[in-house]
Amino acid sequence: MILTALLLATQVAAQDPRLERLDPETRSAVAAVVDSAHGVGLPVEPIIQRALEGTTKGAAGPRIVAAVRGLAADLGTARSALGTSASTPELEAAVAALRAGATPQILAHLSDIRRPPLTMALSVLADLVASGVPADSAAAAVLALAPKARDADLVEFRRAVERDIALGAPPGTATSIRVNAGAAPGYTTSSDPNTAEHSSSLRPRRP
Amino acid sequence: MRTLALILLACGAEARVHTVIAQVTANVEAGISDVLYDGFLASGAASISPTIRWEHPGGRGFISARATYLQFQSGRHSLDGSANGSWFTPLTRHWRGELGAGAGASDYANIASFSHGQIDARLHVMDADHGGWFGATTGRSSFGGDPRPVTVVASGFWLLRTDKTMFISLDRSFIGDTAYTDVRSSGRWMMPRMVLEGIVGARIWSRGGGRGVFGEGSATLTIGRQAALVVSAGRYPTDAISGSIAGRYVTVAVRLGTITVRRPAPPVFPANVHASGAHGSVIATDTRLEVQIRRDDVRLTLYAPGATTVEISGDFTDWHPVPLSRNPGKGDAWGATFRIPSGVHRINVRRDGGPWMAPGGTTRSADDYDGEVGVFVLP
Repeated sequence: MILTALLLATQVAAQDPRLERLDPETRSAVAAVVDSAHGVGLPVEPIIQRALEGTTKGAAGPRIVAAVRGLAADLGTARSALGTSASTPELEAAVAALRAGATPQILAHLSDIRRPPLTMALSVLADLVASGVPADSAAAAVLALAPKARDADLVEFRRAVERDIALGAPPGTATSIRVNAGAAPGYTTSSDPNTAEHSSSLRPRRP
Repeated sequence: MRTLALILLACGAEARVHTVIAQVTANVEAGISDVLYDGFLASGAASISPTIRWEHPGGRGFISARATYLQFQSGRHSLDGSANGSWFTPLTRHWRGELGAGAGASDYANIASFSHGQIDARLHVMDADHGGWFGATTGRSSFGGDPRPVTVVASGFWLLRTDKTMFISLDRSFIGDTAYTDVRSSGRWMMPRMVLEGIVGARIWSRGGGRGVFGEGSATLTIGRQAALVVSAGRYPTDAISGSIAGRYVTVAVRLGTITVRRPAPPVFPANVHASGAHGSVIATDTRLEVQIRRDDVRLTLYAPGATTVEISGDFTDWHPVPLSRNPGKGDAWGATFRIPSGVHRINVRRDGGPWMAPGGTTRSADDYDGEVGVFVLP
């Protein structure tokens, strides 16, 4: 039975016809990564997809291999942080968060304080960093909201932060203000009623 | 500038984020102006203005300082410096209090010099897309000799509409035996690479502070991650508190450092779909993705003005390019239907056979292949 399982595992990559789009050398290296990931219980579909993405974008074989190896490593880090019960979407979102600057400790903390699925919370974390929010601030905000906020609340929170940023608020401040406001739509930012900071700052004033 | 921060921070509440970091921003503006002060001849001037600002990471306050050196065509110069800050009480329902302080000094060619100091108290009220405030200021203002008492009472109202902001304010100022009332209305319109701002106002019921209308406008155009070109012109009234005289001006300046122009708010998505706006700070996008979850499938609609062909590829197509069909009746909208499971998905778009890019309406991310990919989440 164990032998059968091992055989099945080693055939995961070989049986996936999609990898035939890769050149033989790259396919072999990617297959090794896929098999290795499967062997340790990591999801292989994201790895295969990353390789296919490389082919569509015309990436060189070594680059594709490096990409899938990096992804496999990050998936491993994410699973270590979130636990073996983490789903594939959660792990993918966790990888995005890690690459955005979140630490494994933050992911583990999030896993401790929020019931699964964590996909949306992790995605919001990554989104905030992509919006320019410092990683520490983004993580602190999501951790502050995570215990009670629903996924929809988190999405609304992210939208509110992005709107504030669009209106000119520094990203970190926008995030903390929205956290403080409980992510409620209705506590928003604004601009200068005495007008525009830019025009007034450019006045050649003199006494 | 100051009131921007006031309202921005006033909208927050008690800090519950413990590990955030402070926000410090700074920039320098260098510009040239043509200015006509009331009662003086027109003059050219060159200016340089450094600004630094600290904001409490929990949104509880800020401190800002600014200096301006003006070199006039005549060879004379003016130096102006000011600092101000505010601290906010926790938000209680829709209300929040604020205490502030400010001070400044200015000097023109050793001929005229001013200094002032003041403290402020404000009460803010706010709702989803509008709010207002009422406040009072007291302090001292000095023009060479003995300081004069300063008292200002002010109120205002603001309104948000996505990328546009509008304000109306009314204030009554008393500086010694001088008194006047200013009514202002201003607006700000934020576009992807530019911010347009304008103000019109009138000084009325004045005793020693002058009368009349005033107005200013400015355009701030980003020219890089840390640079912007700013053009501003208009007429502003005498400020008897800080001691500046009324004038007309045109200024062209370059701002280096932290640029406050940001992308507008992301497009609206169906409520149950999570996908963020594109916030890559340097790459403009001319496509926008909308995701619509239906009973058995997912409809992707891509807005690509001016495109003749549009393709997408993503993990839900195994990264095979899939041409989209132009939506009947919507010339800029292209679409296709897919079976996409819930979870995190990556997508790229290509228009007219060009490079693969992350569409607007998704979160941009580096793609491991020296490019970018859009990420969205289906619940």
